[in-house]
Amino acid sequence: MTRSELTGGLPVTRGRWWYDVPVDARAGMRVPARVYADASLWEQISRDRSMDQLLNVATLPGVAERVYAMPDVHEGYGFPVGGVAAMDARSGVISPGGVGYDINCGVRLLATDLPLARAGDRIADVVHDLSRSIPSGAGRGGRLSLSPRELDRVLNEGCRFLVERGEATADDLEVTEAHGSLPRADAGAVSQRAKTRGRDQLGTIGSGNHFVEVQVVDDVSDVAAAAVYGLQRDQLVVLIHTGSRGLGHQVCTDYVRLMDQVMPKYGITLPDRELACAPLRSAEGQRYFGAMCAAANFAFANRQVITHRVREVFRRAFRDRGGVRVVYDVAHNMAKLERHGGRELCVHRKGATRAFGPGNPETPPRYRAAGQPVFIPGSMGTASWVLAGTDENLDLSFGSTCHGAGRAMSRHAAKKRQAGSEVRRDLEERGIVVRCGSVADLAEEAPYAYKDVERVVAVVHAAGLARKVARLRPIGVVKG
Amino acid sequence: MRVRAADFPALAAEAGRALAAIELPGPIPAAAGPERQIVLRAADLGALLVDWLNELIYLAETERWVATAFTPRPAAEHELRVSARGVRVDPAPSRVKAATHHGLVVRRVAGGLEAEVVLDV
Repeated sequence: MTRSELTGGLPVTRGRWWYDVPVDARAGMRVPARVYADASLWEQISRDRSMDQLLNVATLPGVAERVYAMPDVHEGYGFPVGGVAAMDARSGVISPGGVGYDINCGVRLLATDLPLARAGDRIADVVHDLSRSIPSGAGRGGRLSLSPRELDRVLNEGCRFLVERGEATADDLEVTEAHGSLPRADAGAVSQRAKTRGRDQLGTIGSGNHFVEVQVVDDVSDVAAAAVYGLQRDQLVVLIHTGSRGLGHQVCTDYVRLMDQVMPKYGITLPDRELACAPLRSAEGQRYFGAMCAAANFAFANRQVITHRVREVFRRAFRDRGGVRVVYDVAHNMAKLERHGGRELCVHRKGATRAFGPGNPETPPRYRAAGQPVFIPGSMGTASWVLAGTDENLDLSFGSTCHGAGRAMSRHAAKKRQAGSEVRRDLEERGIVVRCGSVADLAEEAPYAYKDVERVVAVVHAAGLARKVARLRPIGVVKG
Repeated sequence: MRVRAADFPALAAEAGRALAAIELPGPIPAAAGPERQIVLRAADLGALLVDWLNELIYLAETERWVATAFTPRPAAEHELRVSARGVRVDPAPSRVKAATHHGLVVRRVAGGLEAEVVLDV
């Protein structure tokens, strides 16, 4: 059952869990747009410029079928965060802004064999040790400093290089998207500046909304799928959220600049310069794709080195009971070549997660009974969710779902509402141990700055984008 | 970031000071040490301003050096030549990760130029 209405001057057809904007809603649009949301989220989404940005994306050359916004969508730079757009691989463009500055920002879930009851009195020590072992804060370097040759190997090989160094296992790679190593990576397309920014940042969280959280499985919605993922109620888990750090930012900066310069050569005009792009098949497009894949490999390796540190911490705290297993690692800022409907498409997911179902060959064999694991972190101090990808989603959003709760308030506005020290006190009163580089900046990530993750996940589940499996409750936060 | 100045070199200097104010907590310390010469060229003033801020962000993150004092030098059209002095800091103060082209505006206003640049933090 659908009905049409005008929202902010746009003709919108409303479905049960989505809002459609037709292709003729605005001059220049090449495809229609769809936003997955309920009425409450739609009202929040309508307050910022994310719809305007989504319709701008619908004007890009070669854009295929439909552009999508996930329930957590919010305004970004050029592309909205929570946006999905697929470009024809032969005739379409690739846009660094459609991937984002933090290339392969993503989430990795680690599972322990510890029930909360056996670890509860050690949580504060564990969180403290995690904060000492994993550097956080923008620009902060880590304990690893790579030679130029080693850094090039990380960029070209990703996590495979870390297996040689004893910082990853074959098992870890099997449950990492693309095995933590994108084959089209080209370290030669990454500037020296980007390499300089990244050379000592492997194994670091960074700043902003990045974190390492100790959590407990709070509720299981799908017992069978949870069992496939090795999750059960009251189990201690660790969620890592970070990306390619300064290296990825510099790659994006370099290629937005390059594409801004070459667009006239290809006759491309855009409504927003931050959407700067070039044909995927052009020399510039191919070079960016190689550099982006290299930065993505760096991000996979970053989360892997952090995993290694987490393992060290848990071994120190719990000795032979401190084993830590990777459940899955998935990117949410990436452009990937995929086949959909018989066409090869370059699917841009910015602040959106791949969510493939049981039947997809890219779903790890051990998860084929359930589907690819999907993680939707809540805001700091609220629940995060584990979901399972669905096969039907290939027809709903190119097999994509959302990546978090989504900001509802700017960082500046969040800091004006409450002091960081008060946010910290609120969290600690709820039994959450907090370690952070800057207490003042904690307010930027306060729960009130985000949409309600329960509502976002309910829409994802109801719309068929992914299926609820388990809810995770934070008990310790190391904040970037 | 929203800045105003009489001409583009002064606008770049003002943007540099604004960036330093974001990067450094508290009052900006007096510049010390040798001058650094920075020369940049771009297709237009907007791109030049973004390049300028990204140069300062890069120096802050990789060299732990925050530029705080700026002396513009004569330059060609769409070129920026600045002698900069600054302060060394540890750890690197890279609260700002990038200057973006998103919503980028450099426009003429009464008394000179005004610019708006969105920073990724």
